[in-house]
Amino acid sequence: MLNLTSNKKRLLLFILLGWVLLLVGDRVGELRQYQGSFVAMYSLAIASIILLTGYSGQLSLGHSALMAVGAYAGALSINNAHLHPVIALIIATLTAGVFGLILGVAVARLTGPYLAGTTLALAVSLPTLANQFPILGGEQGVVFDVGTPPVRFGEGFSQYKWFFWISSLAALIMIWMISNLLNSRYGRTFRAIRDNQISAALAGINTGRVKVIAFAVSSGVAGLAGGLLVMLISGVSPSAFPLSLSFSLLTGAVVTGVYNLKGVMLGGLVLVAIPEIADSLTTRIGGSEGFTATLPGFLVSALLILAVLFAPNGPGHLIKRKKR
Amino acid sequence: MIRNNRMKRYSIVSAVVAAGAMVLSTLPAQAADPGVTATEIKLGVSTPLTGSAGLAYGKVPGAMKAYFDFINANGGVNGRKIKLVVRDDKYLPTLAATQTTNLVLKDNVFALVGALGTATHSKAYTAASLASKNVPDLFVNTGFSGFGNTTKYPTTFTVLPSYAMEAKIMSKFITENFKGQAVALIAQDDEFGVDGVNGFAAGKLTLANKTLYPTSSITDARAKALLTGLSAIPGKPVLVLFGTTDVTALILKAAESLDLVGKFTWIAGSVGGDANTLLALGVKPATITGVLAASFFPDAKDSSDEYVSQFMKINEKYNKGVSFDNTVLQGMNSAMLTVQALRAAGKNLTRTGLIEAVQNKGSKFASAGLVPLNYSATSHIGYNGYWFGQLNAKGELKPFGGTLAIFTTDSAAGAIEASTYTRPALPKNGIPTNS
Repeated sequence: MLNLTSNKKRLLLFILLGWVLLLVGDRVGELRQYQGSFVAMYSLAIASIILLTGYSGQLSLGHSALMAVGAYAGALSINNAHLHPVIALIIATLTAGVFGLILGVAVARLTGPYLAGTTLALAVSLPTLANQFPILGGEQGVVFDVGTPPVRFGEGFSQYKWFFWISSLAALIMIWMISNLLNSRYGRTFRAIRDNQISAALAGINTGRVKVIAFAVSSGVAGLAGGLLVMLISGVSPSAFPLSLSFSLLTGAVVTGVYNLKGVMLGGLVLVAIPEIADSLTTRIGGSEGFTATLPGFLVSALLILAVLFAPNGPGHLIKRKKR
Repeated sequence: MIRNNRMKRYSIVSAVVAAGAMVLSTLPAQAADPGVTATEIKLGVSTPLTGSAGLAYGKVPGAMKAYFDFINANGGVNGRKIKLVVRDDKYLPTLAATQTTNLVLKDNVFALVGALGTATHSKAYTAASLASKNVPDLFVNTGFSGFGNTTKYPTTFTVLPSYAMEAKIMSKFITENFKGQAVALIAQDDEFGVDGVNGFAAGKLTLANKTLYPTSSITDARAKALLTGLSAIPGKPVLVLFGTTDVTALILKAAESLDLVGKFTWIAGSVGGDANTLLALGVKPATITGVLAASFFPDAKDSSDEYVSQFMKINEKYNKGVSFDNTVLQGMNSAMLTVQALRAAGKNLTRTGLIEAVQNKGSKFASAGLVPLNYSATSHIGYNGYWFGQLNAKGELKPFGGTLAIFTTDSAAGAIEASTYTRPALPKNGIPTNS
């Protein structure tokens, strides 16, 4: 037991986490299973942001567009090509990854606000592209039906538990893979580029190529998260990927520490909790419809501002500082 | 190596234990249906309250609630008060999906009533697993004929005549009254608009021009471009608008600014044809005059109609500050049908019981509609007909040609027939006493 490498420790941790989720998923009601699926999906999306922004230093405001690419790819493979849902999710990941590769090559020269602006433009424009091509279904979108749970699980196995299992499994496997990646040579290379691009180049790292790889991997992960999102809402349409989603993901990443993968699940929980909190606030305080509609967005923005002001490196660092 | 094997064994054992725990644990069986207590029935609706569609249809839940409040003040249904939970979906399919799921999972409603929108509700129905949960989906506020398909939507009951029915009857009306004029159609590009297109085909109407626009894509500039293009059609073409009220208003206002109002004979489809909303959205009364529209209700301004006058009184008392129009009339009518359905389902209220009650007794429910309700064991289709009228500057719809001529048909290739239906009398004081 003492002779474990960190890789094996990590694998064990993920298996243990998976087992805990399995048992927890059994105990809780459908509502929590449904919310749990969203937490898993958001955690995955936040992981993609952490990889891109926290580790390789590229700020992307357009991850909702990348999720959309994966989502449409997945939906079309189920709806038009009638493929198995698992294959559809893999296609979602790969399509978004390839898209990210192409995009990465285009924006590899850009840094900081210029990269942010380009990705922002992408996030705003991409969903409306769906209206231009009839195959993408326009505003109505394409149906993504992952089907009912296999009969062998019995009558009591609800649709939401099935969603929870699929999301959690996909998220666990993918985050484990990212975690391995970030602890490998690539992770160190990403961080070198983030901290000082010129020194990294001097050290012999091909900065352009590494940035593109980071972008491609991050996009692929975002594509998978997009595929999971539309599975949960049984269909994809442009309204599922508004600009506010990109900001929410960024907030989730910053709030839990953008430099470290450890907080992703907490980030996912925060993103699912905010609309719930807004919901109960509005029922208690009451208020006009405009208030109800904008409150979640306001909370997300407020949280982002507070996090950046008081805990820019995540709550972990804040606690360490207090201990001293 | 030994350590790795031990690790492997531990992982395998724990996986087996986990699988065993999962297989052996069973979820507790559902005792009673959610949303029903001894004193309360909880109903839910996902509908646009904000956004452009909210401006046009935001009055519906308030109207339903007003009628339910009226019934609650008069004894409720079998001793239970009705509570309506309203969630805003901004006419967006994805939001409708999550809100409907929230209604079922979080708010634990007994049944859904008056879900609004074709694209929104078709998405929401699947996402919220309404079929497998057997959640009654009563009197949906959409005319998409697909919702009458009981294999796909087993718990859904339509109330509005379908868009296919409307288009068929419209085809007959246009062919008889506007011979020789070209017909152009501007429709929303989703199941709602396509349903209409199919109806026009079934009604054997040739369209000189057909424009399908993606939802929410019509801007003032686009409307002007469309109208300029259509104005090239010679004569006085008939222009059919098959979209939501906000889009109909946009197109009419664009016509005003291009001075093209007199160029066309305007027909506003039922979804976007509420005159009061159009006036509220800025369309000039002079533009509205002469616009043709179809309805299956008496006009909301016709206080000589017993249903209209009773609903007006309820609106006065329980929906203060909201002006009474066709949207409010429709909402209250659906609420009245809902109350009758709940009564017919009996004191021992279950979801299955409610569905059966509408199937078996729904066709006899009292309602303001001037066409019959077609509920039966094999049909979940509500109203199935329309009459045509012309709007005047006050926003009133008066029968075309002076006499009320109602036609009924189906959503497929069935014939269009003149209707001889007389509706049931209004229950005393508007309070149903059926069982």
